[in-house]
Amino acid sequence: MAIIEEPLALTSGEQHAERPLGVLTRPQANGSWKDWVSTVDHKKIGIMYGVAAMFFFLLGGLEALLIRTQLAFPESGFLSADVYNQIFTMHGVTMIFLFVMPFAAAFANYLIPLQIGARDVAFPRLNALSFWVWLSGAIFLNTSWIVGGGGADCGWFCYSPNSGITFSPTNGVDFYAIGLLITGIASLVSAVNLAVTCLNMRAPGMSLFRMPVLTWMLLVTQFLLAFALPVITVALLLLLFDRQFDSQFFDPEAGADPLLWQHLFWIFGHPEVYIIILPSFGIISEVIPAFSRKPIFGYSFMVFSGIAIGFMGWGVWAHHMFVSGIGPISVFAFSMATMFIAVPTGVKILNWLATMWGGKLHFSTAMLFAVGTVTMFTIGGLSGVTHSLAPADTQQTDTYYIVAHFHYVIFGGGVLGLFAGVYFWWPKVFGHLLNERRGKIHFWTMLIGFNLTFGPMHVLGLQGMSRRINTYSSGFGFEFWNLVATIGSYILGASVLYFLWNVYKSKKEAPNLPAPGPDPWDARSLEWSIPSPTPEHNFDEIPVVESQDDWWFRKYNIEDDGSVVRISSAEDAAQKGDAVGVHLPSPSFWPLVLAIGLPLIGYGVIFNLWLCVVGGLLTGGAIYAWVLEPVDDPDADGHGHDDHHDGDDPDGELATVGAAGDDTEGEG
Amino acid sequence: MKTIRKREKPVSDSRKRLLGAVALIGLITAGCAGDAELDTLQPQSDNARDIDTLLDRVLVIAGVIGVLVLGAVVYMAKKQRVKSYDGDDEFPEQISHNNTLEIGWTIVPAIIMVVVAVLTTVAHFSLNETEANAYEVEVEGDSTSWEPKIVVVGQQWWWEFRYYFTEDVDADFLDDPRNLPPADIVTAGQMVIPTGQEVELLVTSRDVIHSFWIPALNGKRDARPGFFAPWEISADEPGVYFGQCTEFCGLSHAKMRMQTIAMDDADFQNWIDEQMVPQSAPPENPDDPVSRGAAAFLANCSSCHLVEGFNGDEDIAAAVVSQAAPNLTHFASRTTFAGGILNTYTEDGEWNRDDISQWLRAPEVVKENYANGLPDGELPRGMPNLGLSERMISDLVAYLETLGQKPSAEILAATEVE
Amino acid sequence: MATATAPATDTHHDAHDPHATNTGISNNKLAMWLFLSTECLLFGALISTYLIYKTRGNGEVLPTDLFDIPFTSVSSFVLLMSSLTMVLALSAFGRNDLDRGKAWLLVTAMLGAVFMGGQAYEFTAFYEEGLGYTTNPAASAFYTLTGFHGAHVSIGIIMLMSLWVAANQGKLTGKNSETVEIVGLYWHFVDLVWIFIFTVIYLIPPE
Repeated sequence: MAIIEEPLALTSGEQHAERPLGVLTRPQANGSWKDWVSTVDHKKIGIMYGVAAMFFFLLGGLEALLIRTQLAFPESGFLSADVYNQIFTMHGVTMIFLFVMPFAAAFANYLIPLQIGARDVAFPRLNALSFWVWLSGAIFLNTSWIVGGGGADCGWFCYSPNSGITFSPTNGVDFYAIGLLITGIASLVSAVNLAVTCLNMRAPGMSLFRMPVLTWMLLVTQFLLAFALPVITVALLLLLFDRQFDSQFFDPEAGADPLLWQHLFWIFGHPEVYIIILPSFGIISEVIPAFSRKPIFGYSFMVFSGIAIGFMGWGVWAHHMFVSGIGPISVFAFSMATMFIAVPTGVKILNWLATMWGGKLHFSTAMLFAVGTVTMFTIGGLSGVTHSLAPADTQQTDTYYIVAHFHYVIFGGGVLGLFAGVYFWWPKVFGHLLNERRGKIHFWTMLIGFNLTFGPMHVLGLQGMSRRINTYSSGFGFEFWNLVATIGSYILGASVLYFLWNVYKSKKEAPNLPAPGPDPWDARSLEWSIPSPTPEHNFDEIPVVESQDDWWFRKYNIEDDGSVVRISSAEDAAQKGDAVGVHLPSPSFWPLVLAIGLPLIGYGVIFNLWLCVVGGLLTGGAIYAWVLEPVDDPDADGHGHDDHHDGDDPDGELATVGAAGDDTEGEG
Repeated sequence: MKTIRKREKPVSDSRKRLLGAVALIGLITAGCAGDAELDTLQPQSDNARDIDTLLDRVLVIAGVIGVLVLGAVVYMAKKQRVKSYDGDDEFPEQISHNNTLEIGWTIVPAIIMVVVAVLTTVAHFSLNETEANAYEVEVEGDSTSWEPKIVVVGQQWWWEFRYYFTEDVDADFLDDPRNLPPADIVTAGQMVIPTGQEVELLVTSRDVIHSFWIPALNGKRDARPGFFAPWEISADEPGVYFGQCTEFCGLSHAKMRMQTIAMDDADFQNWIDEQMVPQSAPPENPDDPVSRGAAAFLANCSSCHLVEGFNGDEDIAAAVVSQAAPNLTHFASRTTFAGGILNTYTEDGEWNRDDISQWLRAPEVVKENYANGLPDGELPRGMPNLGLSERMISDLVAYLETLGQKPSAEILAATEVE
Repeated sequence: MATATAPATDTHHDAHDPHATNTGISNNKLAMWLFLSTECLLFGALISTYLIYKTRGNGEVLPTDLFDIPFTSVSSFVLLMSSLTMVLALSAFGRNDLDRGKAWLLVTAMLGAVFMGGQAYEFTAFYEEGLGYTTNPAASAFYTLTGFHGAHVSIGIIMLMSLWVAANQGKLTGKNSETVEIVGLYWHFVDLVWIFIFTVIYLIPPE
């Protein structure tokens, strides 16, 4: 509890005279690897989210290839049924919780402060905590392969009673429950942190309705996370208590109702879909205007439709349960609610098209991915409409038609959009461009592989192929399209490897190429007004925002006749990144230490309660040390800047960073 | 049994073609129709047809929208593309919004969805309409008015079907899925219904959640433990209709299949008559494999499996998690076994010794299960490997062949999946 | 409940500029509000679970058979009073009246502890009457819900005691009374949840 921490008096230049207890100091940045494990810099944390998520993308992709290899031919014995069930479960869990969500978190961490003109997030140490807790949960989840008797084998949706100890006696499901609880803590902390950042840390003039669409969509996402995660937390705890402490939440023999799990899971699970998709919507809402040379069409409609999707996402969960016997009236109500979520979604698609309409379209790699997102998501959205017809869904649900649908939404609508973001912001993050030619090859192989993999699944599903089957017999007409899908999945896998090759080669070639400058895409939001890569202190001077797309209007003016006149080059208008004396929050090791304690508690619950004690001591100790270390170390040097000028911040801009005074009550 | 025939398979299907276009893989269509026994687009009953019609209409709407969106993107990509912006300070008109337009394209999708909603509402409520339905059957010589109703029970990894001709069957009567009241007919893997009748189903489970689905006849319905989910099914024509469990139910979920056989009235009555006859012990004769097989059955199988009239006439609480094993009284009258994955008769209509022997020899190889080498206190799920000798296996196969009447050639032929 | 302090009346925030945040609410306080709103969902899910399961006894005793309304009323009253003392503590810190502030903090924590003692007694009594954690779905849901609430109260007590210690060390003064306010928000929330639980779970009789 940082409750005794006093908000730091950076503005007045007073030094924090007293170190609580006088024993703890904040570490200092000195350019070694320790900078990374102790960092509280939102940019470093964003990069770490991205790298770790990419690792889990490869892992989840490997699992996907194993699935597709098994299904390439009928009656295949490549994987046993047991291993297959574990792999498809872990594929889903990995891709959703360990890839898409943290990859979106990478963008949220890196870009929210930059887009709203802030020096960091509201609670820098909590931000580091979120990352380390997420990573420890992710690693914990995957150690079940080694020490848990295999991965969870209940599907990512883990319906009871199949997830009960009787039907899943290995520890896989325990790892699933605890692992997702830990990553859930991380997401919850991060959601509160980033929401406060958006609401409280905006630069002067950056009113809510001047925030870029990306920041808006990320803000909606944080609210969805904040309200959806407690529900899955309860569900996972009940499951864990059933398995570990013999409680009776899901045992039908004792009179419990398996539908309880389904309701709790999908009340979380449906907003989760929007948690996955909205960041991508935000990203392409930045990319498409930049490469159409037009502002986003209908900013307020874009924002409000995003908010509407966020709200409506809470009223449709039972469309995952149309055949579970919840009664025809419930089915009808949820069917209707689900249909009308198509309206705000349709508005978004039409607004993207209208943004492009009449524009000068430059198909850079980022633009290709963004347009790919719009088209693939449209397909996924339209097949989604066909599931909202409750009667038709009784034929489609739990078939490959659904698998096709949600991959078009999550991969087509989500992951392609995230890749658009990768190509778009890469120069801002790393100071060099990703090679465009290779990027385009990456895009086209990915698009082709994706459609070959998931397109045929529409047909397979309508032909009656069930989901989650480890094998199928010949004679049902499934052979050909399964083989096509498998070939497609290998192309998709190759495209991801090719992307990594592009990253490697682009990095190698970078020194011989001209630097991209602050604003390589002639873009519109504040992050392009500062050098690439972003200086550690983000902004030399917090910008004063005068309009939407403020940065663009510093470069261009729209004359009375509607023509656009350049008033400044990007280089001239951009900040130089040479400010000195910017005092940033000091690093800290305690988020990492705290995060290490949590999986130990998890292992303790599963194997030996004494480990819980060890983990609890570590966590508790870290919280205490967190509280007792100074909010900032008065002896610390400015990070990479030789500043000892705590007092030279006359505008008081820094108070927003300094006053961060981290608050761990959030974990209460 | 004269009218049973294979369903006609159209060569191609226009909806698939449409969907293929939507999915940017237009090549999909022409060759794909094939012989898909589980195809959801070839309805064979009123309900399935209603669903199909609804989906058809919405797929057309979705297809048009999809083509418009993709077309717009392709059009713009062709017309408005520029190589790069280098040295080009020419900007297109900076239009940031147009409220009329935007309100318009909020309202238009809403109107489209209202149309879809109306179509759905009509279909939904007509599908959930049940009519009381009386059907005359003769049970043990007495004519009785049966409201066609079958209790469908899922368990890892097979389906049981129970027929009560004289009781008023509802959740109160059935009470506990693991301890159901004795039924007139109990069968497994293959449900038999009278053609042209709306048959009500009460779907439940003895362990985890399963889902009962015969795509040609209706959508699916989850089998949830502790709950009897109402559902209905009917078939226009006599025939064999295939199904697959669609709710993930553990290890051998993929190998949990079922079939529905629709028979015309006379055949259905014959089937009832046959199923109502209990078995009796074959005369003891150590030289007769059937007799030896019956003894082997008593020694090895009878603690879980019931042959009515031979090893009891009550349900047996099998020592497995679901407390149930298939009732084998009329095993030879079914064309499929082992949870609908193996055929009881070969393509030539012969008793399928090979597959039945293999199932008895190593059930866990045919279909993965948790039945062997379990830790203490853990109950099996699936059929255990009993370590039977080859001689015992062949005796058992011979005995099983005597349980019930061989089905008609038409049914045998229709069971083959090609 | 305290919300944004208007800058004009903000006399004790000399450490940071009230205009520093866009909303005028400090980051800490806003984070606490957000956190508490997520807690609503957590308790919402737990309360719903209990309401669904409250009659599912599997032939065994139900929590509703054992409720001792007079006893729980008293302990609920104690918890409710602790909200009052919390308010008094905050107002004392606001006036920079540290002695009273410390005393009220301590009283608040003690009242919370009395409530926890009542819960421990209730659990023991129920257990002895045959209602174990694993007895039936109703029991599991009841103990999980009230146990979660108890854990929240316990954490609140720890936070109150930390404040008390900090105040004794001179680190908590009227100047950072916002910290007291934030802990107070949490404490009031936990009380409110209990009022809801008490009404919906204890007072509304089973059908």
